[in-house]
Amino acid sequence: MRSERLAPYVLVAPALLIIVALRLWPLLLGVNFSFTGDGERNGTMVGLDNYLEMFQDATFQSALRNVGLLVLLLPVAVAIPGLLATFIYLRVPGHRVFRSVYFFPAVLSPVIVGAIFNLMLAFDGPLNTVLATIGLGPVDWLGDPGVAMFAVVGVHVWATFGMALVVFLAGFATLDSALLDAARMDGASLPQTIRHVIIPGLTRTIQFVFVTTMIGMLTSMFGLLYVMTSGGPEGSTYLPEYYVWIQQGQMNRPALASAASTVLFLIMLVVGLLQISVLRRAGRED
Amino acid sequence: MKQRTLWSALMVAALALAGCGSATRPASSPSGSREITKLVVWDWKSGDASSASYVQKAKDDFAKKHPGVTVEFVAQPFDQYYTLLGAAIQSGTGPDVILFNGGGQIRDRVDALLPLDQYVTEDKQRLAGWEAFGEDGKTYAAPVTLQGHPIYYNKTLYEKAGLDPASPATTWDKFLNDCATIKKATGARCFALGNKEGAGIQFFMSGLGSGILTAQEYDDWIAGKRVWDSPNVKQIFKLWKDAGDAGLNNDGANSTAMFNDAFTIFNSGKAAHIIGLMSDIGHWKDFSEFLGADKLGVMPAPVVTTGVTPSLAYDGGIGYGVAKWAKDPKLAADLVRSLTTTDALTSFYSDAGAIASDTTIDVSQGPAAVGTLVSEIKGGRPALHVALSSKTLDLMGRLSQQLLSGSATVDEVVEQLAASDRAS
Repeated sequence: MRSERLAPYVLVAPALLIIVALRLWPLLLGVNFSFTGDGERNGTMVGLDNYLEMFQDATFQSALRNVGLLVLLLPVAVAIPGLLATFIYLRVPGHRVFRSVYFFPAVLSPVIVGAIFNLMLAFDGPLNTVLATIGLGPVDWLGDPGVAMFAVVGVHVWATFGMALVVFLAGFATLDSALLDAARMDGASLPQTIRHVIIPGLTRTIQFVFVTTMIGMLTSMFGLLYVMTSGGPEGSTYLPEYYVWIQQGQMNRPALASAASTVLFLIMLVVGLLQISVLRRAGRED
Repeated sequence: MKQRTLWSALMVAALALAGCGSATRPASSPSGSREITKLVVWDWKSGDASSASYVQKAKDDFAKKHPGVTVEFVAQPFDQYYTLLGAAIQSGTGPDVILFNGGGQIRDRVDALLPLDQYVTEDKQRLAGWEAFGEDGKTYAAPVTLQGHPIYYNKTLYEKAGLDPASPATTWDKFLNDCATIKKATGARCFALGNKEGAGIQFFMSGLGSGILTAQEYDDWIAGKRVWDSPNVKQIFKLWKDAGDAGLNNDGANSTAMFNDAFTIFNSGKAAHIIGLMSDIGHWKDFSEFLGADKLGVMPAPVVTTGVTPSLAYDGGIGYGVAKWAKDPKLAADLVRSLTTTDALTSFYSDAGAIASDTTIDVSQGPAAVGTLVSEIKGGRPALHVALSSKTLDLMGRLSQQLLSGSATVDEVVEQLAASDRAS
C-alpha cells in the first residue's frame, strides 16, 4: 500500500520538475550571475558591484523614473477604454462601427504600430503639418526629451486599448440593465449614471483591467521603444527591459544585464503582489 | 493496483528523462581523435543576394584547399547578432568563424577569439584596415571591407547655386559660405543629419575631425592619450552645437534616424552634404543610384584649425575572426584566408558596393566617387570615434542630443566624456 500513497507525488513530479528545472533553477542562476563580473572579471564574484554601478547609471535611473511615470499614467490608460466602452454600451450613434474600429489596432504588432507612428510623428510628418495649419508650432514628438515618453505611452495606449475595451464590454454584459433603466427614470445625468451605477457594477472588471494594463505597460513596450525612440532622446525613454537589452546586446555586459533583470523581476513581483492583494480584498467585500 | 503505480512511475520517469534530454549538452567527442569535417560561420551578410557570389567564391577557394571539409554559413539578423553571439560566448560553444564589426564590437570580445597573427602574415601587405581588429599588438580578425566616414556632396545642388562642383570648399569658413549660398538658391540644408540613435555625432566627429585636430593630437587620440578638455577636442563639439544652432542640419535631427531617414534626406536633394559611410549602406553606391554617379562628389574635411592636413577617416569595417573554442584553429584560419582572397573581395566590391579591404582591386571602372575614396585610403587614418569604447559612444550619443537641444554645454559634455573614457 505504501506505493499507492506515493503515487500522487509521482504524478505531480513531472510538472514540479519542469517548473524547478526550467523556471526556478534558471532564475536562481540568473540572480547568481548578477553577482559576478563582466569582461576581465568574468566569472569572479564581485558582490553588489553591478547593482551599485547600475543605480548610479543615468539611463537606469531614467528607466526607473519612467516606470513610476507609467504607474501614474495607469488610470488614464484604464479610463480611456472604460469611457469608450460606456459610450458603446449606451448605444451612441454608430456604436457598432466604433466597436470594431476600436479593436482594430490591437491586432497590429508593435513594430508595425511603431513604424506607422514614426511617420505620423516625424518632424516634417502629417501631425505637425496639421498643427501648422491651425497655427501651432511644430513639436518634435520623438526628439524632445520632455515629450517623447508621453508620445510613446500614448501610442501604446492607442495600440492596446482595444483589448481592454472588449473586457469592459464583457463586463457590461453582466450589468443589470434594470438598474440603468431605473436611474434613467429617476432622471440621472450621464456623469451620475457612470458614477453611481456603472462604476460600482463593474468593480471587478475595472480591477482586472488595471492589472492587465499595468503588466502590458511594463512588459510589452520594448517593441515600440526599439522602433520609435531607441531609448532616446537623451535617454529619456528607457525602460528596465530596454536597459537589459542594451547592456547585454550592445555593451556586452551580460552580468550587469542580469542585475537589471533581477531588479525588473523584483519590481514586477511587488506590483503583482500588491495587485493580487487588492483583488483579494475587493473579492471579500462582495 | 501495485502494477499500475509501477507503470505510472515508469512512464513519469521516461517523460522526465525525455524532457531533460534536450536541456543537457550532448557529450563532446574526444578532441583531436577525429578529422574535423565541418566548419560553421556566423555572419549577417551571407543571406543577402548581393553577397552570394562572394560567399560562393570563398567556399570554392576553401574547397580546393580542403576538399573533405564542408562550410556552413549561418546568417543571423544583424539587430540580434551580438546578443546571439553573447549567448554563444557565454556557453563557450558556437561557430568556428565569426564575422565582426571592427573597433569596439570586436575589442569587447577578444577574450573569446584566437590571435591570428601567425596565420595571416602573407595577407598583411595586401589588405588594409587591420588596426580595427587588433588589441595589444595581436590581430583577431582579417578585414573584409573598409568602413569610413567621407563627406559626400550633391553636385546638382552646387551647380544650381552657381558653385563649382569640381572644387568644393577646403576651409570651414568657405564651407559655411557655400552652404549659405546653396540654401539661398535651392532651400537645401547644409547637412543631412540623423542623430536619433546617437550615430550622428560619431559620423560628425570622424568625418570632420581630421580638419580640426593637429596630426599629433590625432595620433595621441588613436593611441588612447585623449585630452578631452583641449581646445581642439572641444572645437569638435562646439562645431556640432553651432551647426545645430545655425540651422545647418535638417529639422528634428534628434528624432531623425541616421539609418535610413538621414540618407533619404540626402538622396532626395533636401540637403547638400552628408557624412556617410564607405561600405554596407549609406555609401557611394546607394547615393549614386539616386543622385546619378556623376553628380555625387566626395570632399576632404574642410580645414578648421589652420595648418592641419585633412585625411580620410577609415578603419577595417567587417572582418572574420576565429573562435577560441574552434577545434582546429589552423583549418578555421584557412577559411578566414579564403574569405579574404582578392577574387572573393572583388565580387564583394562590385556586387555589394563595399570598399573592400584589398588594396589591389581595380576600381577604375567604378563611379568617380569610388576613385576619390580609394585614392585617399593610402593617406587615411583611423576614425576618431572607433577608438572609443561602446559605453563612451553610447554616452556621447545622448550628450550630443543634449547639445542639439540646448540642455547641456560643451564644457559639461567633454567633462562627462572624459570621465567615461578614463573609466573604460
